[in-house]
Amino acid sequence: MNASKTLEKTLVASPERMVEADADLAVVRKVQAGDVAAFDRLILKYRERVLGIVYNMTSNREDAADLAQDAFIKAFQSIHRFQGQASFFTWLYRIAVNSTLSHLRKNRLRSFFSLESVREDDPVSRELIDALTDKTGAGRDAFVRELQEKLNDAMQKLSINHRTVVTLFEIDGLSHQEIAEVMECSVGTVRSRLHYAKQLLQAELQPYLLK
Amino acid sequence: MKRDTERKITVEDLLRLKRAERPQDDFWATFEAEIRSKQLSAIVSRRPWWDRFSWILAAVSRRQLSLGSAAAVALAFAGYRYVGAHQEAVAAPQAVAAKPVAAAVAVAAPTPAAPAPAAPQLVRAAAPREDAELAAEEAAPAAGPVVISTASHITQAPAAAAADGATRAPFADGIAITLADFREPSSDFARPAVFGSDREFETSMATAHQPLSQEPLATMDPAAERRARLLAPALGTTRAVVSDWMRQRASSDERMYESMDRGSNDDRMLVGFRF
Repeated sequence: MNASKTLEKTLVASPERMVEADADLAVVRKVQAGDVAAFDRLILKYRERVLGIVYNMTSNREDAADLAQDAFIKAFQSIHRFQGQASFFTWLYRIAVNSTLSHLRKNRLRSFFSLESVREDDPVSRELIDALTDKTGAGRDAFVRELQEKLNDAMQKLSINHRTVVTLFEIDGLSHQEIAEVMECSVGTVRSRLHYAKQLLQAELQPYLLK
Repeated sequence: MKRDTERKITVEDLLRLKRAERPQDDFWATFEAEIRSKQLSAIVSRRPWWDRFSWILAAVSRRQLSLGSAAAVALAFAGYRYVGAHQEAVAAPQAVAAKPVAAAVAVAAPTPAAPAPAAPQLVRAAAPREDAELAAEEAAPAAGPVVISTASHITQAPAAAAADGATRAPFADGIAITLADFREPSSDFARPAVFGSDREFETSMATAHQPLSQEPLATMDPAAERRARLLAPALGTTRAVVSDWMRQRASSDERMYESMDRGSNDDRMLVGFRF
């Protein structure tokens, strides 16, 4: 993949996302017409992603659960205002991100982390862990735990906006354009924040980066 | 820690590890139950009244229009309206004073043979209407169709109002409608008890206050009355008259007695009469 294709991928939404947005819009129209049960499909579809965003922004699974639920309830309450100008997931992400930002600003001084367990059934994470640790070593779980804490520490050292950009781009896989829509800022701002955040993370996680 | 693979690990790779951080399966059952209860309470609970207007703030913030600029635009608009109205109020008397009276009469009283204009023509003639009103007010004593005389307005004004429809003022329309109502026999104005004009009122009051042809005291013969009263017990025909007179007198005495207020103030007694 050349540089232009990479840039295009990061700037515009993928065709899969466009199809997904159309399907979501049909469900939203049903909810707007009074079919409340149709909203359950949207919850089932997006609950893991919304929870992942909120968890990676807060590093607290209890807060993440509450905030994710609140985001869905807010979306449900305001579903009649959704006009379809943006895709539903962008709208939902915006609600979740704004709720989380508001929560983080209110509880700026409180730092209590509770980590989720790493699922090693994911091949990418297993490969990464295998690369970092002894495959049969006894301290494998302890190392993974330590790496999780280091990652969360490094993320929490970022500002809220930088953390949000990193979460949406690197963990959830949104494009620059989608992040700009969710965070209501320009694409240039997104790229700038992402570059700065990666520099900080690289400095923080230097011992774990193999050359 | 084993680092013999020599594979290049970047920040992106480490962050990808966070994708694998996922809750246990039983978490979702709790999550679903909680969100269900919150959803039900959101359906049942009444939303605050100000939440209906939150879309205005959302629209403003979406268009990145600050509240300050919106307030400035509103103030500028209000100021423009105020200055415009003030200038019109100042300029209107000057314009009327400068306009020739003859032209004003020509606008206010068109030829009777002209057909009554339709409503769109009235709308098109809205701009000069204000000048025409003011000119018609000035030219009223000479022009004739404006209602001045109480004796002739009932019959003349509706015809005149129908003829000068092009320059007719809104209050002239109201007067014409009122007069048309008055001319209808079923309207409230046509009832005898309701006075349509000062003249009718004066006429009806004059009939009420018309002096009697004979004064009652002038017809009274004191000697005959006294004789009748004294002979009342003997005369059976006048018994009823005398008894009525006695009854009236007794009742008037009772009324006077009842109207007295008695009060005692130690050694004094106060007597007052109510009238």
